Amino acid sequence: MSTPAVDVHQQIGALTRQLHDSLNGLGLTEKVKDWAGELPDAKSRLSYIARLTGEAAEKVLNQVDQAKVQQAHIATQVQHVGQLLAQDAAGAIARGDIAKHLSEMEQSGRKLDEHLTEIMMAQDFHDLTGQVIAKVVNLAASMEEQLIQLLIQTAPPDAVANPPIPHEAYVPALDGPVVEPTGNPDVVTNQSQVDDLLASLGF
Amino acid sequence: MSKELRFLIVDDFSTMRRIVRNLLKESGYADADEAEDGVAALQKLRNSNFDFVVSDINMPNMNGFQLLAEIKKDDKLKHLPVLMVTAEARKEDIVMAAQQGAAGYIVKPFTKATLEDKVNHILTKAGLK
Repeated sequence: MSTPAVDVHQQIGALTRQLHDSLNGLGLTEKVKDWAGELPDAKSRLSYIARLTGEAAEKVLNQVDQAKVQQAHIATQVQHVGQLLAQDAAGAIARGDIAKHLSEMEQSGRKLDEHLTEIMMAQDFHDLTGQVIAKVVNLAASMEEQLIQLLIQTAPPDAVANPPIPHEAYVPALDGPVVEPTGNPDVVTNQSQVDDLLASLGF
Repeated sequence: MSKELRFLIVDDFSTMRRIVRNLLKESGYADADEAEDGVAALQKLRNSNFDFVVSDINMPNMNGFQLLAEIKKDDKLKHLPVLMVTAEARKEDIVMAAQQGAAGYIVKPFTKATLEDKVNHILTKAGLK
């Protein structure tokens, strides 16, 4: 009579064989190899998303800080103008005090506008990370589908399983943002490299 | 005063369409419409008059390369300058865009100055400015 430990070993062995046969039968061995290659890529992509969102948040906060300084300056100038007009309007205009404060307000307003533009530009992370997220989501969905197939294939005969609904989300066919440009000679890392490449081709 | 130029901004991300639209407005080009992919863009281009197309590449339904090809084989549209604004940074994509007739190529992320410079350069070259 076999011991319980040997039974467990035999059962694990049988399950392993069943899993191996199922993976082969479904053509999943190659898939699993692909996943092994894609998971580090997914990790790089997630790191890229974390970096880009962090940089965008930092940029926005810095720009808001600077914008607030300009806004405070405008408020002070408005206050000064109000006081000058209340005390001696004609004199303040004649001495050029009003014009001086208005000029300062105009300069601050221009700087404020520049900060607002920078805040708007910082939102481009949505597009760049969105493309990368789509690729990672696609990998996760593909793994989920294959694993569900594997479960169905290996389920006991009396178990009821519904076939998975095919995943039809949009998958970008192109590469999208370069998450690790270092050491890759096939990609450009900035606009001047694009311009140089086009110039070398006569464009 | 010269006539106001009309831009079509094509990108599947509404955030990016909005950014490009605001930047163009700040650069003096306030007349712009938007499309979320190549199919919608082509429909708008064929039903209305535009002077300039700013297009992403990586989009569902019809990508930027396919849109560019459709524009360049259409006698009524092929004169339109098409500026690609994309995250695709492979050299072969840049070369392909140029060979297919793109008027310019900007990689994301980009600056306001870059967009303004490219648009002005292309408009000058096309005799539209």
